[in-house]
Amino acid sequence: MQKVIQISLGGHALMFQLEEDAYSALQSYLERARTRLNRDPDRDEVLRDLEQSIGEKLVNLLHSGNRVINRREVDAVLEQVGTVDAGNAEAAAANARPERPRRLCRIQEGQWVAGVCQGLAAYSSISVEWVRTIFLAVSIPTGGLPILAYIVLMFVLPVARNHDEYVAMQSRAT
Amino acid sequence: MDFDKFNTLRKGLLEFLILGIVSSGRVYAADMMQRLSKTDFATQEGTLYPLLSKMRRDQLLDYEWQESETGPPRKYYKLTSSGRKQLTEFREYWESLTGLIDELGKPSCKK
Repeated sequence: MQKVIQISLGGHALMFQLEEDAYSALQSYLERARTRLNRDPDRDEVLRDLEQSIGEKLVNLLHSGNRVINRREVDAVLEQVGTVDAGNAEAAAANARPERPRRLCRIQEGQWVAGVCQGLAAYSSISVEWVRTIFLAVSIPTGGLPILAYIVLMFVLPVARNHDEYVAMQSRAT
Repeated sequence: MDFDKFNTLRKGLLEFLILGIVSSGRVYAADMMQRLSKTDFATQEGTLYPLLSKMRRDQLLDYEWQESETGPPRKYYKLTSSGRKQLTEFREYWESLTGLIDELGKPSCKK
């Protein structure tokens, strides 16, 4: 036994009758499309276009009568419509993002100990004085936890001789 | 043939092919797919619709609604003046590219 669900699609006057699993296939297709188009400023319009086009294919399938549509038929229609490719919209959004995540380095020029604070400052665009102040301020109540972190970072981080070399390393990394 | 290698190329070219198709007059999305269906650029609604809306945002295309006998009104696309300009530029660029590609293989290019 199958429940039949009646739906309207993208402005089609005809109410389509879908078996329950056909309905859920269509619904999950549209939900996936919505997610993929998340960054598209015209998301709702594209979704409406897709619905309309799916409706058109279903109308063709039904010829003139209006019978219940099954899962297999819906799957075939969705196969024709194809997965939503938001490639362009996503690429545009990626280009619009101001900066890619950068790599943390030690910077030797102007270092007090090993340049970790210099590196953190360059990484976060906070001035090195602030980084050192915060570093010391946190060290006192925590019994020197940042000092331990400093030592670890000293061994882990790649080294740049000065700020220019750091910038050059970033452009190579991306 | 190793068509996978050309996938990115095809993807980038699709937009210009659509400009070409739309330049022939007022075109409905299904006509575009029909026109491309027999080519390497066969495309589906899932790809075409987001692209068309992006091209409209870029002001290369515009559409108008037209009543349809079989269903809801359809969008008929046409080129805007900047779309037409871009198509001309693309054709010129493409010509210079194919010229260059032909040229590069010729022995006369060797030093």
